[in-house]
Amino acid sequence: MTPFNLQILTPDKLFFDGETDNLIVRTTVGDKGILARHEEYVAALPIGKLKVKLNGQFRIAAVSEGTVKVSRDKTVILVQSCEWADEIDVDRAKTAKAKAEERMKLAEKNNKDYLLAEYKLKRAINRIETWNMK
Amino acid sequence: MASGNMKAIKRRIKSVGSTMQITKAMELVSSSKLRKAKEKAEAGRPYFEKLYEMMTEIAESKKDFTSPFTEKRDVENRLFIVIAGDRGLAGGYNSNLLKMALAEGENGKNPPKIIAIGKKSIEFFEKRGFELTGRYPLLAETAKTADCADIATIAIEMFKKGEVDQVKIFYTTFVSPLVQNPISMDILPIYRDEDGEEVPSLITYDPSPEAVFNRIVPKFTMSLIYCALSDSYASEQSARRNAMESATDNAEKMTEELSLKYNRARQEKITNEINEIVSGANALQ
Repeated sequence: MTPFNLQILTPDKLFFDGETDNLIVRTTVGDKGILARHEEYVAALPIGKLKVKLNGQFRIAAVSEGTVKVSRDKTVILVQSCEWADEIDVDRAKTAKAKAEERMKLAEKNNKDYLLAEYKLKRAINRIETWNMK
Repeated sequence: MASGNMKAIKRRIKSVGSTMQITKAMELVSSSKLRKAKEKAEAGRPYFEKLYEMMTEIAESKKDFTSPFTEKRDVENRLFIVIAGDRGLAGGYNSNLLKMALAEGENGKNPPKIIAIGKKSIEFFEKRGFELTGRYPLLAETAKTADCADIATIAIEMFKKGEVDQVKIFYTTFVSPLVQNPISMDILPIYRDEDGEEVPSLITYDPSPEAVFNRIVPKFTMSLIYCALSDSYASEQSARRNAMESATDNAEKMTEELSLKYNRARQEKITNEINEIVSGANALQ
């Protein structure tokens, strides 16, 4: 298949810059497959996973909130954080999960602490899930 | 008299020497920190620029959408995010920025609410009786995007609820190793060029331009704060390095002058002694 250029950027680094021929992202409205010569497209990404086909095989990465932008010559993904499944520090994610659950129990529902802990829990669960899929 | 003077000079040479050791060490520490800080500041830039590009593209392609973030209000209450250092001895780094923020703060209708980042910023505004909405000491060196996300969330919430009508950030930008400028920037509301022509675009927004735009804004604010913080930290290290460099130079010059004085005093003492001996011998003859 025709390859296209993909860039994945996070606030602290250029995470990925290279060619791929198939990309699957989970947007706020559902999964979206992107091939070369896709129409120009922008969508928001929630905490989730993305799949990139590299050398004939899909690699999975955990991402948290951001946007995907497909333009004529390349696709850019801007996310808060991004890790390949096999690079995830799963112990850290598990500790984060336990800590977040603890904090959600203590905090009142829907106050700031609760929402922050919930957000952290979502991220931790996503990381653990992604790690299990590697 | 001469010997007492000599002792005093010697003591001063010693104290200037030990001060010089300290300033020299601080200079070295700052230069190594500066290198890391600069890398960090540069690493975050592409993300920020792409985000900005995307935001302006949406704003230009569609003029008729409404977003709480683009709504202009009469400015009564303001929120300032002020980034300064945690430590002094950095030349004019802290005072230049804080003075600028203070001057702007006194300009408006009501005194602004402050989110202070860095110990010096907290101390400065607390002493002057400002209302501090957030205190973030010791953040700049180890700043993670999550910390900036917290700050961004607070600012956005306050803006949405109408507690403030404008959010501004004050930080120091790194121009070159010798030049760092304090600047301020409006974060919210986001201004749009209303008179500009609508640029037709074929981009599909999923689910809608408004939804994507409203989701981008918090990320944008967060990364703006993150960039400003990294930029400030690089500036701080650079300012400290320069200050310490000139302090070391001054100490060197002082040691030189003092040694000259010391040698003069020593010669004078010897001459005096010889004089005394000679006149003593003369008296005996």
